[in-house]
Amino acid sequence: MSAFVPAAFAVCSAATAGAQPATTFGQNLDPLFQGILTRPSDFNNALQYAALAPSTDIESAISTYEQLLFYNPNLASVRFELGVLYYRLGSYEMARGYFASALKMKDMTPALRERTEELIAAIDKKLQPDQFSGFVQTGFRYQTNTALGPGPQTVLASGGAFNPRFAKQSDWNWFGAFGVSYIHDFENQRGDTFEVNAVGYDAQQFKLHQFDIGLVELRAGPRFGIQSEFINGLSFKPYVIASGGQLADAPYYGSAGGGFTVHANAGQVALDPYVEVVRQTFRNLTLYPLASRMNGTLETVGLQASGPVYSSLSFQSRASFAHADASFTPYSYDSWAADIWLPWNFSPLGDGRSWTLIPTAGVSWWQYKAPDPTIDPTVTPNILEWRVGLGLEVPIWRLLYLGTLVQYRADQSNIPAFTMRDFSVTAGPTLRF
Amino acid sequence: MRHLSRFIVPLIGAALAAAPASAQQVGTATAVNPQSESTPPGGSTAPLVVGAHIVHKEQIHTTPSGTVQLLFTDKSSMSIGPNASIVIDEYVYDPNAQSGHMAVSLTKGALRFVGGQLSHVGEAVITTSAATIGIRGGTTTVIVEPNGVKVINHFGIIKITNGTGTFLLTRSEFGALIKSWNTAILDLGRIPPNEVAYYQAFAMSHPGENGGVLGFHSAQISHCGTGQVQDPLHGTNCAQTFWSPTDNAAYDASQILGNATNFGSSPIPPPPPPPPPPRNPNR
Repeated sequence: MSAFVPAAFAVCSAATAGAQPATTFGQNLDPLFQGILTRPSDFNNALQYAALAPSTDIESAISTYEQLLFYNPNLASVRFELGVLYYRLGSYEMARGYFASALKMKDMTPALRERTEELIAAIDKKLQPDQFSGFVQTGFRYQTNTALGPGPQTVLASGGAFNPRFAKQSDWNWFGAFGVSYIHDFENQRGDTFEVNAVGYDAQQFKLHQFDIGLVELRAGPRFGIQSEFINGLSFKPYVIASGGQLADAPYYGSAGGGFTVHANAGQVALDPYVEVVRQTFRNLTLYPLASRMNGTLETVGLQASGPVYSSLSFQSRASFAHADASFTPYSYDSWAADIWLPWNFSPLGDGRSWTLIPTAGVSWWQYKAPDPTIDPTVTPNILEWRVGLGLEVPIWRLLYLGTLVQYRADQSNIPAFTMRDFSVTAGPTLRF
Repeated sequence: MRHLSRFIVPLIGAALAAAPASAQQVGTATAVNPQSESTPPGGSTAPLVVGAHIVHKEQIHTTPSGTVQLLFTDKSSMSIGPNASIVIDEYVYDPNAQSGHMAVSLTKGALRFVGGQLSHVGEAVITTSAATIGIRGGTTTVIVEPNGVKVINHFGIIKITNGTGTFLLTRSEFGALIKSWNTAILDLGRIPPNEVAYYQAFAMSHPGENGGVLGFHSAQISHCGTGQVQDPLHGTNCAQTFWSPTDNAAYDASQILGNATNFGSSPIPPPPPPPPPPRNPNR
């Protein structure tokens, strides 16, 4: 009789483990996903799952939308959604296939057609061996402290006074900014490219022309892909840097140097550590007679990271350490800085066009190397800066956007002359291409 | 008799235990266009229907008009084109540990594999006569053609191995052709968009088909930025804007201006000491 006990147990346990009635199959899985496995024809359940999945698992959302497309291959919205998801994976040809087929569907709406055509145009650009992209922006900016300087009555420990012309004063400016990226894709399996990035900024003050500033920066270099069985998108890039700028409408600043960066993806997070060394040259001007004392070498080590947070919220961040050796030792410093941006896309008008709200925050710390006898011969300066901001980009028409940015900066220092606060509001249109 | 039962009954029990275990459900047929068939291990071939359990060692076969989508418990899926034949060779997935392994044989036809948890933590393997294709975190199309096996990477890392060595596909929409197990793997470079679109539509319902599910006539999907789908034009693939953290000339200009104010400008020197009082010529 006792021999029947293990046999019966074996049969029972086998029945439990192996037969897997529908109620227990996939029971440790996400309930909506379990619903797809056990009731695949419940397409409302599948739609709910597909709507939520992209925030955590783009591929799973793709599987579900492709399942729905099996049920009805004539729905433009499902094809569009698949195009978006493949686009987000960087699978541009798959995305293009779905977008192009969506345009042929009878239920395609004019609004969706416009978005689809925009995305196809963006993909066609990305599939070219030579790709240009960028933005041009203009607008007006108001600052409570255009000089980023201290109060007008600041007395220096050296016995002198801070030049009131550079003290806190409010003003408006007109500004223009641009960014242009050029990528030549060598179209090989490694993904080698040659990349050029140029950015520029020019601001003309309404009253305080000693703060008119312009800057152009150029980075260029080859990017070499590294094929790895375990890390996707790995590459490295040596590059050269050159920049030039003017202040108070006169040539003021130049730099030249080089850098090295690595790109890697950790899951959906893109990581770009970098190191840069540049030689900086400042030209003395009538208004800035001590500028050349800042001539020297600036070495920077940093990490940029970006990726999704949840749903349509993503993050971009940068942390860096810099060491500046200036010809005048008191102007040499070490600095640490960290910034984070949290772009959030939403569509308040429900017209399929995204607005982007961008909260930002950052902190920097500068530790100088020696006291500056012209300011305070006994105290080695340090500065702690906090900055917060809120940006909003609103689509106007096709690739034209209206941007608004509100920022607050506060510098605290053991040198009163380096303590300042600035509140600014910036607004203007941006054209992307 | 008593001795016999002591041996036979546990054997019967073990046999009963083994049979259902081998038939453990690993996935579901989530869409089926006729005519598609399946053959479970030890069972007979029968038409495949939506909702059918897919079990370990099951063979799936599509006719020249049939297409199928299979969904597995790790969230990976396979869209199988017409005139294809596959076998689920191995499938083990522990949803708690989110680990296991998956191996599928494709003997003819084409399929699109969209990776799930198993390919994210390890490698899902598709075996063909010419090569084994390891898929890490990815999405790929595999086509068994008369002149060999073609592999198109859509996303992730695809490791192709045959008798001549290993070849990695790491770029989206780049491909390779493997003519046989003993011939070198050919780099096809970028696959033309029309070919990618062809295979996309190949493993999918065609006009008039419904994947075995009636009544799906509209999808209320809110596009771009309403929580469901992020507007890709706003993603990190775009050129950075004025408000963005990197390549920001306005930020650098601000730093230069701040330093110019603090260091480049010249403080007003302290006033000269008062002149000494004039001497009294009468002293």
